[in-house]
Amino acid sequence: MPPLAIVDTRKVYDWVLSIYVPIAIGVFALFTVLIVGAVLVYRRRERPSRRHEANRLEGSYVVLLTLVASFLLYITFTALHQDNLIVASARASSHERPAVTIDVTASRWEWTFTYPGHGITHRSGAVGQEPLVVPTNVPVRIELRSEDVIHSFWVPQLAFKHDAIPGSVQTLTLDFDRSGSFSGSCAEYCGLLHAYMVFTVEAMPLGRFDTWLRTGGTVSA
Amino acid sequence: MIAISTDHKRIALNMGLTALGFFILGGIFALFMRAQLTSPHGDLMSNQRYDELFTMHGSTMIYLFVTPMALALALYLVPLQIGARALSGSRVALAGFWIYLCGGLVMQSGWFANTGAGQAGWTSFYPLSNGTYSPGVGQDLWVLGVILAALGELLVAICITMTIARRRAPGMTVLRMPVFTWTSLVSVLMVVGAFPMLILAMLLLFIDRHGGHIYSGFTGTIDYQDLFWFFGHPVVYVMFFPYLGCAAEAVATNAHKRWFGYKAFVASMMTFSVLSMSVWGHHMFVTGGVTNGFFSFTSTLLLVPAGIEYFDLVGTLIGGAIRLRVSMLFGLTFFIQFLIGGLTGIFVASPVLDYNAYGSYFIVAHFHYTLFAGSVFGFFAGVYHWFPKMTGARLREGLGRVHYVLLFIGTNLTFMPMFVLGLDGMDRRVSRYSQHPGWAFLNRLETAGAGVIALAVAVFLLNVLVSLRRRELAGDDPWSGHTLEWATSSPPPPLNFERPLPPIRSYAPLLDLREEAEDRARERERGAASEARV
Repeated sequence: MPPLAIVDTRKVYDWVLSIYVPIAIGVFALFTVLIVGAVLVYRRRERPSRRHEANRLEGSYVVLLTLVASFLLYITFTALHQDNLIVASARASSHERPAVTIDVTASRWEWTFTYPGHGITHRSGAVGQEPLVVPTNVPVRIELRSEDVIHSFWVPQLAFKHDAIPGSVQTLTLDFDRSGSFSGSCAEYCGLLHAYMVFTVEAMPLGRFDTWLRTGGTVSA
Repeated sequence: MIAISTDHKRIALNMGLTALGFFILGGIFALFMRAQLTSPHGDLMSNQRYDELFTMHGSTMIYLFVTPMALALALYLVPLQIGARALSGSRVALAGFWIYLCGGLVMQSGWFANTGAGQAGWTSFYPLSNGTYSPGVGQDLWVLGVILAALGELLVAICITMTIARRRAPGMTVLRMPVFTWTSLVSVLMVVGAFPMLILAMLLLFIDRHGGHIYSGFTGTIDYQDLFWFFGHPVVYVMFFPYLGCAAEAVATNAHKRWFGYKAFVASMMTFSVLSMSVWGHHMFVTGGVTNGFFSFTSTLLLVPAGIEYFDLVGTLIGGAIRLRVSMLFGLTFFIQFLIGGLTGIFVASPVLDYNAYGSYFIVAHFHYTLFAGSVFGFFAGVYHWFPKMTGARLREGLGRVHYVLLFIGTNLTFMPMFVLGLDGMDRRVSRYSQHPGWAFLNRLETAGAGVIALAVAVFLLNVLVSLRRRELAGDDPWSGHTLEWATSSPPPPLNFERPLPPIRSYAPLLDLREEAEDRARERERGAASEARV
């Protein structure tokens, strides 16, 4: 099976963050030092200066700000271009088949994970704690639906979420790059038991996942 | 009859006091929420009660406190700053105040409905807010309350806009309007541009709830958010600019220098407001219903006008004769703390980062740094700065410093841990959370911080009480102010100015006078010195 373009959302996120955070800390430190420093230096002085414009300096500063904005946008658009592959998979041609397709249906206040063709249905949320089982390092297609209000499918481990909106199917192609057990939740307020609308992701190597799938989910994950 | 006075100062004080009352009410809601979240499985209240509390906390603060307080400050100060004797359409503004007050009462009356107060969040996204998923009169009262409050605020904003357009004193050209007046002008223009959309969206929601089925299917769901955020983002700046103006006036006055880079500042205000009308989709990055790239582009560009304000702040401080009065402390802290909100705002303007942050406590931390650590600090800067003008008495500096220190500690203790919790995966709007390591501890810190904030507000109220009871008379111009409101008595007479206005040759006419007097004195000295030499 030719692999579908696979996007490691966590990696993309970490990359953008690793550029944004130092810039933000630098800007914050710079202005805090300037403000506090100016206050300390000019405290209790008499005879204030009358200078109230520095248009050439301010003009160059605006150019600098624009360059910073352009740089950040370049980073963000580069990352966004990669992430777009996740949601845009409706356009993906038929030969780019994912390893597995899982129907994820959100409703008040539970998640239903169905593995079409395998007769497996897991539920998690206010009703129980059955996990979302996924294979690692292969594209996992998720068909996200909502039966009632807006919910949002969030796996912090992937640094990714997407809304489940009634009247639509949102198709996502996600990559789980390591085995283990992660938490997930509904990130859009959906009413009384919103806080209980949580789930666990069990990510396992493809071989074990296939066994799990073949046995109808009976072999323990 | 202070309740039906058409004096803009009286209407503004009534509106400000009403908003302050709602601030305290919304703060009490927050304290209950924080109490519930002290432990992961707090059992202080039912889920429904918690949902009502966060809905009403957000709604009260945004529709009934920060926005109307910004307008009340503008309503009081703008006519004075531009040398107007009265407000244009003052009866409309009076009606606006009463409609807003009624809106607030209607919204809060939901607490007495048998189904409880509104509980669909301050955004009341569709379809959660429709007749099927939020039945009951509480949500109807919430919708009607929002419509009335927004309508009242719109009327007041229209009057301020008209006053600026038509009642500027001779010599007060548009490019001589004080900094606060400029921040108010762009705010009221945004209210005029954006609030009708909210009123429309809410009217449609009301019709929908009663069988109209306006918003249906995927597109209806997205349409509601488009309409709502078309209001909901500009309002963020309405809740920011006038407080920026307060902080800027307090800083300039306490530095004894006019605000630096005035023309660039005015240009940045206009850029800001234009951009802010085109960024609403950044609230919808995870819906799959907007063009993320476009809204990311416009949102990130906001850092350019925002950066200009910081340049101008530093320019104002350098070379100043700085006095660290309480208004100055609040003004400076406004800028530093808002920077945290602004920089994290640039983070979430990147869709890739927002895919994780959206709906989490990171967002809660971000907007509290803009609205609380920012706007509320700017508000207090304005209060300490203009209280003597409004009442004739100064606030106590000592109590003010206690108020400032407590608020500073409480604010950062409450909202800083939220960044960590959000990145770590904690959802907002949950009454219970899982037992992740560290979460309970951080939540306890936040609850303690909320308590410190409450204490700070209590000290502020005590300060107001003490200062009004045992008055330290302020005189007309206690701080050597720059703008025309300091050229009249404290509090100003009904028609604002009894003495003729000083000549208006810049955005700081009173500072001009002082500088000219200084120059003349220096000239005389020099003249005397040269005569002595002869």
